[in-house]
Amino acid sequence: MPAAHDPQLLKGLVSLLLLQLLAERESYGYEVVQRLHDIGLPDVLEGTVYPALSRLEREGRLTSRLVSSTAGPARKYYRPTPAGFEALTDGTASWKTLAATVSAVLNRPVPHQPSKGS
Amino acid sequence: MPSTINWIDRLRIERVVWELDQRLYDLPRRSRIARRREVRSNLLTASADVGTAHALSNLGSSRQLAADYLDAEFGDAPRPAWMAAAVFVLAAVTISTWLFNEAVLAFGDGVAARDPHATGIYTWHGIRYLQDTVTYTFTNGHGQSVGGALTPIAWAIGIIVTILVGRIWRAPAQWRRRRAQRNDAGSMTPQLG
Repeated sequence: MPAAHDPQLLKGLVSLLLLQLLAERESYGYEVVQRLHDIGLPDVLEGTVYPALSRLEREGRLTSRLVSSTAGPARKYYRPTPAGFEALTDGTASWKTLAATVSAVLNRPVPHQPSKGS
Repeated sequence: MPSTINWIDRLRIERVVWELDQRLYDLPRRSRIARRREVRSNLLTASADVGTAHALSNLGSSRQLAADYLDAEFGDAPRPAWMAAAVFVLAAVTISTWLFNEAVLAFGDGVAARDPHATGIYTWHGIRYLQDTVTYTFTNGHGQSVGGALTPIAWAIGIIVTILVGRIWRAPAQWRRRRAQRNDAGSMTPQLG
């Protein structure tokens, strides 16, 4: 069972993850939520993803098209725009730099861990 | 496990979509309809996939979702509440029209009560500062009135309170931000999160 993730940590990364997943394959809202769950992020719920998709679309980083579905109403499929790909490239580089910096600090040995009551 | 959606599930989904829609009235109409359709479509898919209860639970509260959609559309900065302003205007006009009309009728009733066969012209200066002069023309106890409308002061008060209720002073800043965003759309710098 995957470990729970801190929602505050995830919040800032949802846009980057969405751009990456949609760059790999265009998807509709619920499908992209399922893909996030499949990669080990079950804490990311629909109520977080749908507004994030909406914001990315308003910012011009995603474009969408309606595709009719045999299972119900038409689905809105998203894919990144050129600006979205550019944001993905820059955001990925930024994240890798930050992760490397944070990891370097967190990987340092802790010299003393006080016990309870001391 | 995929499951079929019965009419009760559909009603539950429609209720959530309706609640969301009611909270998105500050969005442009086209955008609001698009959000509503998208959420409905996703909920139906999710409901068939994991069951309606789970699908609705994962969506979270419609209030929070609407707030997030509004933030997504307008940004986190303070924004005017157009719906609150519209509701206030409608309520204020309805109530004040009824109240002022009742005041005019009460004056006429007072004249008729004092003299059931009143004949002549009777004038009342209306509710001070807020209502125009009311003139009743009575013939043998039957009167017809003119006047009694809202004064410019009443309209000015209504406009000021509407601005306060709807926080409309935030609108110009919001329009400037949106114009700037549109202008930057082609040459945006990444700002994820």
